[in-house]
Amino acid sequence: MIIDIQEERLVVISDLHVGNPYSAASRNLGEFFEDARRRGYNLCINGDGFEILQARFASLAADSAGVLRSLRRLIDAGRRVFYVVGNHDIALENFLSAWSGIQITPFLNVTSGDARIRIEHGHLYDPSFVKSPRFYEFMTRAAGPFLHFYPDVYRIWTSYEELKHRVSGALRGKRSSVSVYHDAARMLLRRGFDVVVFGHTHHAEEVVFEPGQRYFNSGNWVRGGTFVEIERGQVSLRRWGTTT
Amino acid sequence: MFNRPLSSSNGHGTEQSRSYGDGELICQEGESSSEMFVIQSGSVRIFKARPPGHGRPSQPPEIELAVLNKGDFFGEMSLLEGLPRDASAVAQGGALVLVMTPGALLVRLRRDPTFAFEVLRRLSGRVRSLNARLVAALAESEAGPSAREPLLYSPETKAAGVP
Repeated sequence: MIIDIQEERLVVISDLHVGNPYSAASRNLGEFFEDARRRGYNLCINGDGFEILQARFASLAADSAGVLRSLRRLIDAGRRVFYVVGNHDIALENFLSAWSGIQITPFLNVTSGDARIRIEHGHLYDPSFVKSPRFYEFMTRAAGPFLHFYPDVYRIWTSYEELKHRVSGALRGKRSSVSVYHDAARMLLRRGFDVVVFGHTHHAEEVVFEPGQRYFNSGNWVRGGTFVEIERGQVSLRRWGTTT
Repeated sequence: MFNRPLSSSNGHGTEQSRSYGDGELICQEGESSSEMFVIQSGSVRIFKARPPGHGRPSQPPEIELAVLNKGDFFGEMSLLEGLPRDASAVAQGGALVLVMTPGALLVRLRRDPTFAFEVLRRLSGRVRSLNARLVAALAESEAGPSAREPLLYSPETKAAGVP
């Protein structure tokens, strides 16, 4: 299993939820992968790439075929592809190491230029997931049908978590970050990382905690198309369609 | 001037950052201590005193085991086992390190599970390396007497990290 890698050019995407009927990822990723191949970037899918919890098998199989073909073209062109496991595709942990040329890993420590970068899906810092993983899985499956009414149901969940964290922090009388993920990123940054990249929340963002210490969230491809670009230690948040 | 805490335990158990100047000793082989260290910036040289009777007089009295960089950690053996330090560590060109007591480590492991994964991975790598060296040593002893020092401090030792 690969955890420590050296990458000078890497693009990071997350929360594709390929197989979910409301994910636009399978329609847009082909061009994105082709662009990465042409510009010489390796690829990291930072969790929840394939929708194993909420999708029907037929839908997952139909949508995955095209995405896997695009990934295969990328790999055949000599690009490296990493897949960090998230909570919607946790079954892929059974394939930890390599699957069809894709390196599957629980997280990545990337050295790029002078920067040390942690790439991780981020569900391990979700209080609901940590406290009751089985209940969390049950609720995630149960939420599947609600996607028919409101595809961005994830945002409700994230907003709820942020509010809960803020209220509990205030009740404890402590200064608290807006998000548990910011707290988690700060904790990782204290271990000698310069940048932390999470996914999971679907909310793309860049936060500078202090000079040289930054947190990114790579957003989602269900409705959006954001990604984190790493170029010789320089890290930036980009939106697909505005890069070329 | 150096070796002073840079931050308190705010929200991080009893973790604190300490800065060390070039050549300043962070921990010494044989001393009793139960802290481990994570390098936040700079480099740290790990070394052991050469055992009496090993090597030629012209050789340096210390054997360098590794040079660790940002993100690497060391000192976990003493923290976990409560035994004296197995090797010494000095800052190389200045270093900022995160210092963890056993309590701070427990808090860290609860909040940062990937750190546990990385520590276990390091220890597992070390066991694998020691197994390989044990097999090589046994093979050599069966073949007849030979110089043992290269086996005791082989490149695998450096790669596996210390102390």
